[in-house]
Amino acid sequence: MLQGPGIAWYLGIAAFLFATGALGVLIRRNPLIILLSLEIMLNGGNLALIAFSRHAGNGAGQIFALAVMAVAASEVCVGLGLVVALHRRRLAMDVDKLSELRG
Amino acid sequence: MIAGAWLCLFAPLAGTLAITVGGNRISRLAAGWLSTASVFVAFGGAAWSFFGLRAHGSEHGALSTAWVWLQAGTFKAGLSVLVDPLSTMMMLIVSGVGGLIVLYSIGYMDGDDEERRYFAYMSLFVFSMLLLVEGGNLLILLAGWGLVGLSSYLLIGFWHERPTAVAAAKKAFVMNAIGDATMALAFFVLIAHSNSLSFATSFATAGHLSETTVNLVALGLLGGAVAKSAQIPLHTWLPDAMEGPTPVSALIHAATMVTAGVYLIVRTHPIFEQARTIELIAAGLGTLTLLVAGLIALVQTDIKRVIAYSTMSQIGYMFLGAGVGAYANGMFHLLTHAFFKALLFLAAGLVIHALSGEQDMRKMGGIGKVMPWTRWAFLAGALALVGLPPFAGFFSKDAIIAAALHDHWYGVVLAIAALAGAFLTGLYTFRMYFIVFGPTAGSDTAPRSQTHEGPKTMLVPVGILAVLSVVGGWIQFSPFWHPLTNWLSPVAATLGVAEPSNTQEAIASVFAVVLGLAGAVVAYAVYGQRRLAIPRVPSLQRALEHKLYFDEAYDALFYRPAAAMAVSFRREFEEPVVLASGSDLGEGALELGQGLRRLQTGLLRTYVFFLATGMAVLAVVFLVVK
Amino acid sequence: MSVSSFTSVLIWLPIAGAIAIWILPLSRYATGSLAVLISLAEVGVWIEQAARFDFNRTGLQFSQDAPWFKDLHVSYHVGEYGFSLWLVGLTVVAMAACIGYGFWVGRDRPRAYFGLMLFLTGATVGVFVAQDLLLFYAFFEAMLIPLYVLIGVWGGPGRLGATIKLLIYTMAGSLIMLAALIVYGLKVGTFDLVTGPTSASRWLFLGFMLAFVIKAPLFPFHGWLPDAYREAPPEVTAVLSGVIAKAGTYGMLRIAIAKFPEPAHYYRTLILAVAAAALVYGSLLAFRAPDFRGVVAYSSMAQSGLITLGLFSGTSLGYDGAVLQMIAHGLISVSLFLLAGTIERRTTTGQFALLGGMARGRPALATLLMTTGIIALAVPGSAAFAGEFLILAGSYQRAWWWAVIGAGGIVLAAMYMLRLISAVLHEARGSTVHDEALDLRTGELALLVPLVGVLLALSAWPAAISHHSFAGDAPAQIVQEQFR
Repeated sequence: MLQGPGIAWYLGIAAFLFATGALGVLIRRNPLIILLSLEIMLNGGNLALIAFSRHAGNGAGQIFALAVMAVAASEVCVGLGLVVALHRRRLAMDVDKLSELRG
Repeated sequence: MIAGAWLCLFAPLAGTLAITVGGNRISRLAAGWLSTASVFVAFGGAAWSFFGLRAHGSEHGALSTAWVWLQAGTFKAGLSVLVDPLSTMMMLIVSGVGGLIVLYSIGYMDGDDEERRYFAYMSLFVFSMLLLVEGGNLLILLAGWGLVGLSSYLLIGFWHERPTAVAAAKKAFVMNAIGDATMALAFFVLIAHSNSLSFATSFATAGHLSETTVNLVALGLLGGAVAKSAQIPLHTWLPDAMEGPTPVSALIHAATMVTAGVYLIVRTHPIFEQARTIELIAAGLGTLTLLVAGLIALVQTDIKRVIAYSTMSQIGYMFLGAGVGAYANGMFHLLTHAFFKALLFLAAGLVIHALSGEQDMRKMGGIGKVMPWTRWAFLAGALALVGLPPFAGFFSKDAIIAAALHDHWYGVVLAIAALAGAFLTGLYTFRMYFIVFGPTAGSDTAPRSQTHEGPKTMLVPVGILAVLSVVGGWIQFSPFWHPLTNWLSPVAATLGVAEPSNTQEAIASVFAVVLGLAGAVVAYAVYGQRRLAIPRVPSLQRALEHKLYFDEAYDALFYRPAAAMAVSFRREFEEPVVLASGSDLGEGALELGQGLRRLQTGLLRTYVFFLATGMAVLAVVFLVVK
Repeated sequence: MSVSSFTSVLIWLPIAGAIAIWILPLSRYATGSLAVLISLAEVGVWIEQAARFDFNRTGLQFSQDAPWFKDLHVSYHVGEYGFSLWLVGLTVVAMAACIGYGFWVGRDRPRAYFGLMLFLTGATVGVFVAQDLLLFYAFFEAMLIPLYVLIGVWGGPGRLGATIKLLIYTMAGSLIMLAALIVYGLKVGTFDLVTGPTSASRWLFLGFMLAFVIKAPLFPFHGWLPDAYREAPPEVTAVLSGVIAKAGTYGMLRIAIAKFPEPAHYYRTLILAVAAAALVYGSLLAFRAPDFRGVVAYSSMAQSGLITLGLFSGTSLGYDGAVLQMIAHGLISVSLFLLAGTIERRTTTGQFALLGGMARGRPALATLLMTTGIIALAVPGSAAFAGEFLILAGSYQRAWWWAVIGAGGIVLAAMYMLRLISAVLHEARGSTVHDEALDLRTGELALLVPLVGVLLALSAWPAAISHHSFAGDAPAQIVQEQFR
């Protein structure tokens, strides 16, 4: 019915993307890079959604992927806005140093 | 007759209330007369009841209930008075002797700031004692019992600035409370079996109880009697109670309150007869007390303490009489003892009053010369106490000894001990008489020119009591003439084992008189003529002076452990555990919070890490559970 | 106004009075007078109620029932039985005396103070008449709120610590009771106490009992007692000891024993042991307490133990004795703490080491303290003795050793009460007792003499309460049938 590689390949790439993104969030210190990694994670998730949607012949996954993209866009706006505000105040772009909200 | 009983009961209470409410508005003298009048009105009521009962015949006792005092479920106890031979006899003694003593107090307490309080307390006491003897059921008897203990506490501690008086009052109350507790336990047993504390039901129930149970009930009652009557082992409060004014000692600690124990045994004798062992133990305790008190009295130097120990000893006689089953004899001795013991106390009071409060006998020597009336009165009392005919004590005491003789070997042993006691009685009584009233002046005596006889209000009661000490015993001369035994027989018939034969009566009388006389003669030789020396046995002397170390023993066995336990509870448990628990809880909460704070590192990656881990765990759980 | 609504009047009149005082800007004198007037009106309403009460009929009287949360079967259901009538009477009389004391002494921020006292009155009456579990809980908590504020604001130097401790302890108990209450209500389908069935759940029983044991208080949950009693103003301590503590024992009777008969039987020996321990422990600690309030506080714990002993003996004598003792001890407590207040006002202390010799020149104080103290130690012939006697007779029927322990309590009570009396009144004059400290004034006498008078009247006729708490002759039967 559908040409092209099997679903396993798509999921593998999605997992790879997700893992890369997750690693980036955990390891990197620059808030901008963390946001970037988050985007990669979201893309991985989107890919998985679309793959499943194609595999099941159901359009719901693709629609949901669109919703995710919308949320990602909004979230990037807020995140980038925070990063720009940080930069403007000459604060260190290092999440390890930004820890005043501590218990 | 019933109306007389109610009048007798409530007149003194009205007196107390009138004096309390009147307060400073009535004069001190008025308070005294008010109290005296209330007690004499009570005596009138008692006489009314007595003659009413006599007219009806002494077997027709009557019970009258004013209202139901306490009721719970089917258990009921009314505020009732009983008019029967025993109660009317006690009513007459209490109100009669009481009235004389309150009259005497007017003169004795004259000048004291707190006279009104004194007379309020005296009336309260007479009311309580009448409640006790008139009580128509065991619960009202216990109520009177407790109130008598209360009045005793109030009166012993009357001069409450004195720490010794306050301590003595507390001691008396607490020891009486022990007796209250044992009596209450006995009553619980009775209620559990018969759901009633009326005399008739309780006595009937006693016949159906198992032997252990009825022994326990009798033991509980005996505990109360022993505490109230200051018999061994609950006797240590009586000598200390001499801290109170002398009329108090006369009324409470000679004539009435301490005899309540004897009254109790006679009243509840149906229960005791079911528990014969306990009754015989009572007789034994009485005899033991009789001897020990007599010995201790020999070394006392305070005149009131000698008389106090004498009281303890004489009540031992009464316990002996009641214990072997000679109830009428015990009651007879109660009657005569009330007369001569009150007389001795009041006469001693005249001396103390004349010497402005001096109570040490050694300083009183030679006072007989300036106080002749007192001296003769005292002599009358002493002769009655020792039991020389025709004075009152002879008739009553010897009857008890005879009754004991008749009872089996145990009774004979007790009788011999009682005879030894008669010797001791003669000895300590006349030791006291000769030291105080003898010709030789005592050491450090006060100048005699100021001392004189007391006022009329004090002399009249003493005179009346002196006359009664002489003739009071003529009411019964067993076995020839015993109207008292007949009067009491419907409620307190003498047990068969305690009915002595004529020979035994004679033996008892002869030995008692001879021994008593011997004691008096020895006392005369030692203290009167100073011819014989007292044998010196230092350890015995010390032991007797320390009252055989009972006080020290009780202090070590009961008081100090209780206080120590209380303090250690507070230190070891209350403060560290209970009180700190609140603060500990608070501190624990704080520490927990401190610990949890460390989770909030402020670092982004920690939070993300937790997020990731949590998600992974949830995923695994879902997979596994699914 | 129908007779049935008297119960609601007793609850809401003081609360309305409290709100009025909080809103209206009245003067100090007007506030106090209004509060005293309302509390006396309460007493009047109660007397009217008592006169119309039919003591021979079982079942709820003067009841009102209005649905509240229909789907949960929660209703505003109030009414009185014999014993709750007496407890309500104790509450209104005690509160009247204490409000009078507060008026006489003069407390700052009078509007707040009198409002809180009136609110406390209404809430406490509510506890005793509530016949719906949720309503009971609401009033139980409402009773505590004014207490926290009264102690925390008008108390002595250590008042904050005392308040926090009181709060922690009572909250812990109340929350567990709330949990138990909700489970019970949802399980049986109704929260109504009169129509609700019994339950055999032991956990629910323990949940309720924990709250009541903390309230009473009983050893070992009495950690809040010494501090709260010492730091609170004297009239608040009087209410705490005389009335609030009785709410705990009332709860045991009305809810724990009546609704959970099998668990009550199962845990009977344990609870009797705890009660006996409270009696002995409290008496011993009272015997060596160094101050007036300490002695009366620990003695209160001992009396709570005694009352619990009576309730859990499960016998008719025990129940009647417990109710009588609740009332008698309530009055005694109130009188003693008010007397403590009068002494503290004159000498600034309650420490025995600094007191003594106050009887000289102060006959009224001496007479009242002596009378109250003697009744407190349950001298035979007094109301407290009647209650104690019935309780111990009932507990003897359960097992002989409870009665023996109780009898020991009699002797200990004599010891600690006489120590208290002598330490204050007798012997040498204490360093804080001066000639300027006068005898009791008319105002104080007006409060204390009626209280002591009621005690003496009760001593002359204890059957007034002991025979009129449960209709008929078998209280144990009535409790078993849940008072229907």
